[in-house]
Amino acid sequence: MPHPYLQTLLSCVALSLLWATPALAQHEHSSGEFEVFVAAEEFHGSGEAPRDEADPWVSADVVVGATEHQFRVFGELFATPDEIDLERFQMGFEFVPETVLWLGRFHEPASAWNTEHHHGQYLQTDITRPYIERWEDEQGIIPQHITGALFESRQSIGGEGAIQLSGGLGAAPALTNTEMESVSLIHSNTGRHGLSATGRLAYLPQYVGASSVGLLFGHDDLDASYGLALPALHSNHADLTIYGAYIDWSVESWRVVGADYYVDVALDRTTRNESFMSGYLQVERQLPRRFTVFGRWEDSARMQESRYVALFDHEDGNIEIAVRRQALGMRWDYARRQALTLELSHIVSLHQQSNEVRVQWSAAIP
Amino acid sequence: MSRIAATAVLLTLLAAGTPALADEQLVLIVSADSKIAQLDSLEVRKLFLGLTVTQDGNRLRPVLNETDARVKEIFLQNVVSMSDITYDRSLLRLTLIQGQRQPTAYRDIALLLKAVAADPSAVSYAWSKDVARDPRLRILRVLWYD
Repeated sequence: MPHPYLQTLLSCVALSLLWATPALAQHEHSSGEFEVFVAAEEFHGSGEAPRDEADPWVSADVVVGATEHQFRVFGELFATPDEIDLERFQMGFEFVPETVLWLGRFHEPASAWNTEHHHGQYLQTDITRPYIERWEDEQGIIPQHITGALFESRQSIGGEGAIQLSGGLGAAPALTNTEMESVSLIHSNTGRHGLSATGRLAYLPQYVGASSVGLLFGHDDLDASYGLALPALHSNHADLTIYGAYIDWSVESWRVVGADYYVDVALDRTTRNESFMSGYLQVERQLPRRFTVFGRWEDSARMQESRYVALFDHEDGNIEIAVRRQALGMRWDYARRQALTLELSHIVSLHQQSNEVRVQWSAAIP
Repeated sequence: MSRIAATAVLLTLLAAGTPALADEQLVLIVSADSKIAQLDSLEVRKLFLGLTVTQDGNRLRPVLNETDARVKEIFLQNVVSMSDITYDRSLLRLTLIQGQRQPTAYRDIALLLKAVAADPSAVSYAWSKDVARDPRLRILRVLWYD
């Protein structure tokens, strides 16, 4: 490389082979008080600046939960060399089975990808997430974290099917300088936080299955009176209204994951609101010997014309906003709870084009 | 005379074979002190997939039997209807999404039976031969038989 990250990645894989041996895996009794999702990644992109915060070379996501009678509490702590944050912390009461009212910091139900994968890289078949689903601190353009109340319910309909409803109400992120900052539970907070209302209505063909199809809605009042956001937008607020639809469907060895978002941006002192669209479709196919191939196509409309979107683009050589992307890759689950993934992608951003190659080791512990 | 002898031999063989057939039953078990009445197939599946199942307001607790490979294979095929990797991922997924604890798993049958016997909310499964004469346990129903 010198590629110290690649060396570390290979070291992780070598150590993981020891860890995966049956002799070490034998134990009389196991339970799941916590799970740690770890990942190490090597990345090269043509014409791009060196890796930034959005592409940490190693990450750990610790999920801890407890249930006592009808009370639940759990947290998700995400750590990289650049950040440690309590991404979710929720305390809930389960009125009836699978109907829970949560209080705390949670992921916006209107995000199709993040409410499924959160920060657990191992459970995500591919390495990257679609650009429209990026987190706020990765120059994501749609709010992903809310602090307030979340209602979730899954109820049987018909024979085996179910309807799932999620609704959240709370403090939206603030626009500070050139990114969104959601309410932090462990760091200081800057900017003012407006109201966020968000929801999802989904149909599940099987109550206990992972397939679902549904509608998404979100309305976020983003305060833009702090830092560089005000002069860039010429507005104290950016009111985002998000309408979306998604599908996550598995049939035998095939899986299709797709979402499409229409985002309306209302700014002060403008007679004409902005709007743009962004969507993606990912197809996965499991192969023998625990290989999985996947391909993803991302596209958008009118993002280049949006002042709101331009706010998140730093023109620093990194690709923060992709207008289009095609990705292709293969994952190999070579041992229990461990996988190696290769992903190649072509990206068209607001100002440049790039080809990327990524290699990742991901695992879940224990 | 030879017909009578042959019949006697056949009956003896059948009688000797009956316990062996009974051994090939995987049964759903709870503690003898448990108030759990009965669980249908969907409730059993929900329970072992990590979803909430209650009876009389008490949350049931699944206990995985990993004491031998055949029990695990039958459980995956007949109870949750998933491959090993898919089942593991669905449990991980629920942990990631809702912070749900994963079911406790035992690889020693004595420890498993002791744990189930001690917890009135625990539900597990085992070969009927391992639990049939254990007064600490109660069989809810047969999950699988050969």
